[in-house]
Order: sequence, then C-alpha cells, then structure tokens
Amino acid sequence: MLEVTNLSLRYGRHLALNQVSLRIAEGETVVILGANGAGKSSLLKAIAGLAKAEAGSGVTLDGKSILGTKPHLIPEAGIALVPEGRGVFGDLTVEENLLLGANPKRARASETERHALIFDLFPRLAERKGQLVRTMSGGEQQMVAIGRALMSHPRFLMLDEPSLGLAPIVVTELFGALKRVKETGVGLLLVEQNVSISLSISDRGYLMEAGRITGENSAEALKTDPAVQQAFLGGAAA
Amino acid sequence: MITTLITGLVLGGTYALVAMGLTLQYGISRIMNLAYGEILIFAAFAAFLLFSTLGINPILGLAIVLPLAFAFGYLIYGVMMQPLVARSKKSGTLEVDSILATFGLLFVIQGVMLVVFGSNYTSYNFLNTGINVLGTNIAANRLLAFALAVIIGATLFYVLTRTRWGTTIRAIAVNPDAAPLVGIDVNRTARFAFALGTMLAASGGVMISMYQTFNASMGVVFTMKALVIVIMGGLGNLMGALVAGLLLGIVETLVATHVDPGLTLAATYLLFLGVLLWKPSGLFGKAAGR
Ligand SMILES: Nc1ncnc2c1ncn2[C@@H]1O[C@H](COP(=O)(O)OP(=O)(O)OP(=O)(O)O)[C@@H](O)[C@H]1O
Ligand SMILES: [Mg+2]
Repeated sequence: MLEVTNLSLRYGRHLALNQVSLRIAEGETVVILGANGAGKSSLLKAIAGLAKAEAGSGVTLDGKSILGTKPHLIPEAGIALVPEGRGVFGDLTVEENLLLGANPKRARASETERHALIFDLFPRLAERKGQLVRTMSGGEQQMVAIGRALMSHPRFLMLDEPSLGLAPIVVTELFGALKRVKETGVGLLLVEQNVSISLSISDRGYLMEAGRITGENSAEALKTDPAVQQAFLGGAAA
Repeated sequence: MITTLITGLVLGGTYALVAMGLTLQYGISRIMNLAYGEILIFAAFAAFLLFSTLGINPILGLAIVLPLAFAFGYLIYGVMMQPLVARSKKSGTLEVDSILATFGLLFVIQGVMLVVFGSNYTSYNFLNTGINVLGTNIAANRLLAFALAVIIGATLFYVLTRTRWGTTIRAIAVNPDAAPLVGIDVNRTARFAFALGTMLAASGGVMISMYQTFNASMGVVFTMKALVIVIMGGLGNLMGALVAGLLLGIVETLVATHVDPGLTLAATYLLFLGVLLWKPSGLFGKAAGR
C-alpha cells in the first residue's frame, strides 16, 4: 500500500499542493484527473522525492515513511516514475536505456524476464534496440520510458500524462500495454487529462483542482460523473 | 614519412589517454579543471622519484601512483567541487566557479612542485634502447608507453560503453535530471568520474616521464592540449577524444620533423580551428546533446 497523507508543497509563496491525501493498494490502478496546473506533476514529484514537501506531509509505503528519501533511492523501494516529458536518455540507445532501468539492485534477479516482457509489450523496441532514443518518435520514446521504468521491477509505477502529444492510435496502443502491465500485478498511479481512456483501465480515480483533491470514486462512477467535466472546466479558477 | 606516422601515433596515444581523462571531468562531471596538467606533471615527478630513489620502475610505479591519484581526485571533488555543485543548482554557474577554483589549485600544485623539485627539466633513463618497427627506430620506452595507453584506453572504453556501471557514468552526462529515476546518485557518480579522470591524467604523466623531459611549470601545456583534443573530439565523447588525440600526435610530429619544432603549438591551434570551422561541435559531436 502506497499512501499519501496531508501532502502540501510550495514553490515560493505558491501553494501547489494543499493537504492532498490518497492511497493506492498493491496491484490497483488509480488515475488522478485534473486540468493544467492542478498540481498533478507536483504530486508525483513529491512522492518520487524530486520535490520537497512541507512539514506535516506524509508519504508511506507499507506504513513506513518514505518522505525525505533521496530520489535515487525511491526506485530501490519499488516506486518508479515515468515523468512528464518522458525523461529518457536521448543520446543513449534503447538497449542502454533499458539496461539503466535495471540499475536498482531490486531489479537484478528478474532482469532477463523483464527484458523479454518489455519487448513482448512493445515489439517496436525490439526492432530498434540499437537506435538512439532522441531520434525516435514521441510514441516510441514513451515506450522506452515505460520500458525503462518497468525494468526496475516496480511495485508501483507512476505515469505523468503518458498520452500527451501522441496520436490517438498510439495512445490506444500504449494503454493496451499498460493494461497488460496492470495484469502482471504492478500498481499504477496514473496522471492524465485524457479522461475516457485512462478511466477505462483504472479501478479508482481522484479529481484534482488547484492543488486539492476534490473528489474520489470508482472508475465506473467517474465515467458518468458531471464533476469530472467540472474538474477540467473549473481547474483554472484557483 | 612512416617514421613520422609511427612516432606521431605513439605520442598521440598518450594524448588520447590524457584527453579521455579530461573529457570525463569536463564532459561528465562538468568540472573544467585547469589544474589538470599539473596533476599530470605531479605524477611524472612521482614516477621519477620512485624510479631514482627506490628503483621502482614506472610500470610498477603506475600501481602506486594511480590509486593515489584516484584518491586525490576523489578528495578534491568532495572538498572543493561538491560545494560548488550544490550552489550551482540554483545559480547554474558551475563552469565559471570550477574554472576559478581549479585555477587556484593549479598554482598550489605548481608551487609545491617548484619548491620540492625546482624548476629544472627532469628526466630519467628507462628502457632507452632503440627497437626497430617497420624500419623505424623507436625508443622502447615510447613503445611501452603506447602499449600502456592502448591497454588503459581500451579497458576504459570497454567499461564505459559496454557495462551497466559505465553506462550510468555516461547517463549523468546525457540527462542528469533523469538519472535518479533509474537509481543513479548523480553526485556520487560525478565524483567517481572526476576521480577516474584524475587517475587518467596521472597515468599520462607517468608515461610522459618515461620518454620525455619535463619540468614543474609545464602542466598548462598539457591542460591546453587535452582541452583542444576534447573540444575537437566533441565534448564528453570518448571515441572523439581517442581519434582527436591520435590526430594531434601525428600532426605535431609532422610539423616538428618537417617544418619547425617551434611551430608545433601553432599547428595544434590551426588544427583546432580547422576542425571547429568544419564541424563546430567537434569531429564526433552531436548537434545538440540535450
Ligand atoms: N518548479 C516550479 N516553480 C514554481 N512553480 C511551479 C513549479 N512547478 C510547478 N509550479 C506551479 O505549480 C502549479 C502546479 O504545477 P504542476 O506542474 O504540478 O501541475 P500539473 O497538474 O502537472 O499541470 P499540467 O497538466 O500542465 O502538467 C502550477 O501553478 C505551476 O505553475
Ligand atoms: Mg504536469
């Protein structure tokens, strides 16, 4: 269980996250829906140790606090992040990016199987092992980013707007792969603005607006919830 | 002509190795180390001292000098560079800061060497017998230095390009922000790369001491040559440093034997300018690394 309690985060005076609480169980898929600037990326960064939360915030994994853990130790704890903008190593090859993904020690034992799984999920990567990642299309780079994160053998995989800037057909392909990842038992914490496709693979969802969680429900209920539309239209009125 | 080529290649081997060290420090750790050549000369003196006082030959000397150089680089990074790196996260002035800091270090190391070893040219006699290679007579010590450069260079190249650990070192040069996402401690890795670079500078120094005279104020020439090679080869590019290093060795020898030994430095710069005009980001440089 990954749990966030009363997480607040500031950039100077600006309160980007205001007492955010959420949880995600082992193997669960949870989506956070919110408009631009709602604080979604900040939330994932705070969990990954990349942004410093305010005092009184809590992030726990199986009840043990991971807040204040150095960012490079977070993958070792079993939490992987596919950041906004993908964060791939552009001047390295696909294979090298995957090799680096298995850098955390927890990943070593199952490295060969994971490698095979990733090429099975994304056959296109298998064909382009030796290609420099910066020369690939956006969709392919997103596959590299997801593959690299999976190489670390995560218990929880956090994805920051994986569909951003991709053609609908690529988005469908990507979410098909994520659905298979979910079936392997990895918990997914997904941040998205693409409501319908992300709800289609999720178990639960949270609505986020101006740094706060404004709603929570099962994915089924959210599909028909008028508040979902509201979260996007009203997001700017902070 | 063949003589020039072979002599040039042999000299270029040392240059390539020295430049690989600088590319680790500058291209990967982002520290522009102006004291680089001083470390090299210091190692040359250390090899000389071990040889002339204890009778330890420079090959064995490497086994003593290299670990010490690594430790020195590791320490210098921790004490001097780490605070600058921490500060530059906000200000982004690591390059200027490191130039100023290592400029000071240059004079400290040079001062110590001048006091201890004086300002005279130094050399020692080690394997100074001629060996015939393809009709060319070359000193055995030069050949040995070349062989060592090839072994050390090839090992480093293999480790950096073919192992996971080496790939983590390249990764922090490619995208330091993403490195923590795969469990890389950027600070620790940069420190390691810097120490490794110091070690390469020292290995270059030991090799040069085997076949060339040197003195305490010569360091800056090596810093400059290494820098020229690194920029010619493309910043942070190991293969580039290798090729550019060999090229520089050959060009210098060509100019020294067929034109005038006094013009070698001028030739270095001409070559440098030529490469930069033809390929602004170096022979193997990428248009935009990030
Ligand atoms: N490094 C930063 N410095 C200052 N302000 C920041 C920084 N990063 C984010 N912010 C601000 O914090 C708020 C939340 O940003 P965040 O990136 O978390 O939103 P988001 O929900 O991910 O938005 P988007 O959908 O556009 O990616 C925004 O108002 C943003 O301007
Ligand atoms: Mg965002």
